[in-house]
Amino acid sequence: MADVVMSGVPGAGAAPSESDALFPIAILIDELKHDDVALRLNAIRRLSTIALALGPARTRSELIPFLDESIDDEDEILLALAEELGNFVDYVGGPAYGHLLLQPLETLAAVEEPVVRDGAVASAAKIAAQLSQHHLEEFYIPMLKRLSAGDWFTSRTSACGLYAPAYAACTSQTQSELRRLFAALARDETPMVRRAAATHLAHLVPHLGASPEALRSDAVPLLTLLSQDDQDSVRLLTVEALVALARTLNSAADVKLYLLAPLRNLCADKSWRVRYMVADKFVALAQAVGEDIVRDDLIAVFVNLLKDSEAEVRTAAAGQVPGFGALIKRQGAAAVEGTAEPNPGETAILHDILPCVKDLVTDGSQHVRSALATHVSGLAPLMGRDATTEHLLPLFLQLLKDEASEVRLNIISQLDKVNAVIGIQLLSQSLLPAIVELSEDKQWRVRFAIIQNIPLLASQLGVEFFDEKLGGLCMSWLGDCVFSIREAATANLRRLTEVFGVDWATATIIPKILAMGQHTNYLYRMTTLAATATLAHAVTARVLAEYILPTILRLAHDPIPNIRFNVAKSCEHILPALAARQPETGPDAKYTAEVATMVKEQVLPALRKLAEDEDRDVRFYATRALQAA
Amino acid sequence: MGSDLDRQIEQLRHCEILKESEVRELCHKAREILVEESNVQRVDAPVTICGDIHGQFYDLMELFKVGGPCPDTNYLLMGDFVDRGFYSVETFLLLLALKVRYPDRITLIRGNHESRQITQVYGFYDECLRKYGSVNVWRYCCEVFDYLSLSAIIDDRIFCVHGGLSPTINTLDQIRTIDRKLEVPHDGAMCDLLWSDPDDVQGWAVSPRGAGFLFGADIVEAFVHTNHIELIARAHQLVMDGYKLMFKNQVVTVWSAPNYCYRCGNVAAILELDEHLNRNYRIFDAAPQGSRGLPTKKPAPDYFL
Repeated sequence: MADVVMSGVPGAGAAPSESDALFPIAILIDELKHDDVALRLNAIRRLSTIALALGPARTRSELIPFLDESIDDEDEILLALAEELGNFVDYVGGPAYGHLLLQPLETLAAVEEPVVRDGAVASAAKIAAQLSQHHLEEFYIPMLKRLSAGDWFTSRTSACGLYAPAYAACTSQTQSELRRLFAALARDETPMVRRAAATHLAHLVPHLGASPEALRSDAVPLLTLLSQDDQDSVRLLTVEALVALARTLNSAADVKLYLLAPLRNLCADKSWRVRYMVADKFVALAQAVGEDIVRDDLIAVFVNLLKDSEAEVRTAAAGQVPGFGALIKRQGAAAVEGTAEPNPGETAILHDILPCVKDLVTDGSQHVRSALATHVSGLAPLMGRDATTEHLLPLFLQLLKDEASEVRLNIISQLDKVNAVIGIQLLSQSLLPAIVELSEDKQWRVRFAIIQNIPLLASQLGVEFFDEKLGGLCMSWLGDCVFSIREAATANLRRLTEVFGVDWATATIIPKILAMGQHTNYLYRMTTLAATATLAHAVTARVLAEYILPTILRLAHDPIPNIRFNVAKSCEHILPALAARQPETGPDAKYTAEVATMVKEQVLPALRKLAEDEDRDVRFYATRALQAA
Repeated sequence: MGSDLDRQIEQLRHCEILKESEVRELCHKAREILVEESNVQRVDAPVTICGDIHGQFYDLMELFKVGGPCPDTNYLLMGDFVDRGFYSVETFLLLLALKVRYPDRITLIRGNHESRQITQVYGFYDECLRKYGSVNVWRYCCEVFDYLSLSAIIDDRIFCVHGGLSPTINTLDQIRTIDRKLEVPHDGAMCDLLWSDPDDVQGWAVSPRGAGFLFGADIVEAFVHTNHIELIARAHQLVMDGYKLMFKNQVVTVWSAPNYCYRCGNVAAILELDEHLNRNYRIFDAAPQGSRGLPTKKPAPDYFL
């Protein structure tokens, strides 16, 4: 039967025009068994096209059996096949025939390559959702049982993932059998299977929610068992299951009764990988177990994680500081609502968490400090203006001076959050010395991050203060040795012009930019060009006529072709913008006309000359600029 | 100068490979341009000189962020574009596409890794096979390798070559007479230019690499004097500070692969020459983790865990 597919054009014997249309399909089918992996892969990816051409009946009777037989290929092909089959229900004739796809998927779910198995399990789950209850019990459950009882661990590992998608749709009798089988997998002798069981317990638990009894009698013992497994790689996977179980139990008393012991075990596990998992999921965990446990246990646990002996754990915990802080503040506020008592959550932040955070600022591991620098500013909104100024600001200053550039970079890019709490005035006063120092940092990305914050600072500081403290810096960045800094500095000037106005730009920055146009190095003359071109969009006609256009015209005669074709590139953008400008009124009205005359009598002729330049790139860009104009 | 080529450059800048048919066409066009170039290609200042890249695509992007984009900045790359890094295909194709699009703005010369034999051992061959499922792309690229120029001379003053000098070469004219359009030989002038290293030796010495020679200060002194040049710029050797001057500043090694092989911890450098041949070395670090894509890698089978 597979031979039928493989023996030529499908629908052979049809009218010639029809077989012409089917010719590409015949090629695809041939490619399914081609020697070249890339071609086979391509054909598998187009499997739906082949099936569509064959029609549902022949797909069922010929294509699927052929695919089933060809499962002895490269892993890459098998993965593609596993993925395609998940979307294949329509091509075999709809849900009534969906079960036919389970057979190849069952074979794929038992291969050695985990990526292929995972793909097969995901596709089987998709199909399970479309099967009728009848077919589910008749085809899917037997497959699940066969895989669960497989000799080799690969099939049993895959089986673990097949329970959750089908459980809810089964009869209660089957459900109790499924629970029994799953429990057996959780007690499997190979750790790979137990790992899969621990992972998928988290997915299965929500489906058990309809029967609290099943949760207590089946899921809880499995969680307890797996959370005490010999292998830490199994134990660490139970953190997610615990979160899911706590959510599904949905009863503070039950959570305390059944989950507190495994929770405490996981939090104090001797393996750092388990503690890392707890730290990494801490906010979700705390949310799921409810406020009593958070208050009585988890605050102390969190403090321990922040002080953990393993840097990885401290890094993960540092990332949870703002989230956990927000949670205990919210729960504390609810607890004392209507009373005059202080919020115990806020107290805990100040007295328990903040001291640990202070220690982390000087942590020996750069990764810990780096994570802290990214997240610590999230405490500012929780602590309010006064506490932030008193407690957090000193930490920021310290992190800004950190020896690792990544730490400095992370804290700078979070400054806006602090700004929202304590206000830019206070922030800029206390941070300005640090910012000035960092603006000359030898890591260009740090300088880059500082530039990004300059327009914000400028708008708050006011012209005078800005000119005095930061004006020089902004100009020196234009001459930076790194191109990206020069580029960012150029964009920065435009934003500054928007903040301080054209008069300020004309008096302060334009003379300095023009001076750089005389630089002996073409890369810096390029900056003048880029800056004038950027400013052209923000300035008045007078500035254009007196400064911008003359500079561009002068650079059109530059000896270096790179400058000349950048003149052309600039013109390509400036000229259409100039043409679209609103004419100016008042004393400067005459400049509008002057700009138009300059463009017509000087800029365009210059471009025409460039279009005949000796350099081909200059000619190319000049021609394009002329077309744009 | 088709917009097709501009699209391909854009695609390669995002580290996406081209179709096999596009590679074939690109390589064909590149050969047409490269065949016209001299063994000692004349280059005008200003130009920025770069050393080994070795398939470290995201670090090449970092290089352009520091030095400026091509074509705004002129570049001269002294070989070893491929092997060892994760993205030799993307790296070489991007440089090649830029060469085809802006032949006067970028110069590529041959390194010892631009060879059939070496790329089969150090990764480029396997990468082509993995990314395309066949070795056609590797073949097209190797044909281009044979056409790459062997050296360059900037404003008649600065001689650029991947490895170094050869005992059979005294003048630039002798290099000009080499028939270069072949696989890198195991010995002889062409091999030496791509393989030799400067070292603290008198005259010539055997190279521990098994190809090329070690050459001393006296050899450099004579070569510089005979050819009226002021500097020999070369790559080929990892230097932790990105560049290293030797022999009364007459030889400089420029290395442009930061954190070489993703583990050496070195910084990289480029040498910016302005139009008056003033030299500025720009040092840069590897691109930060966040800006790199992850190489697609099969996970280890789970019985190893």
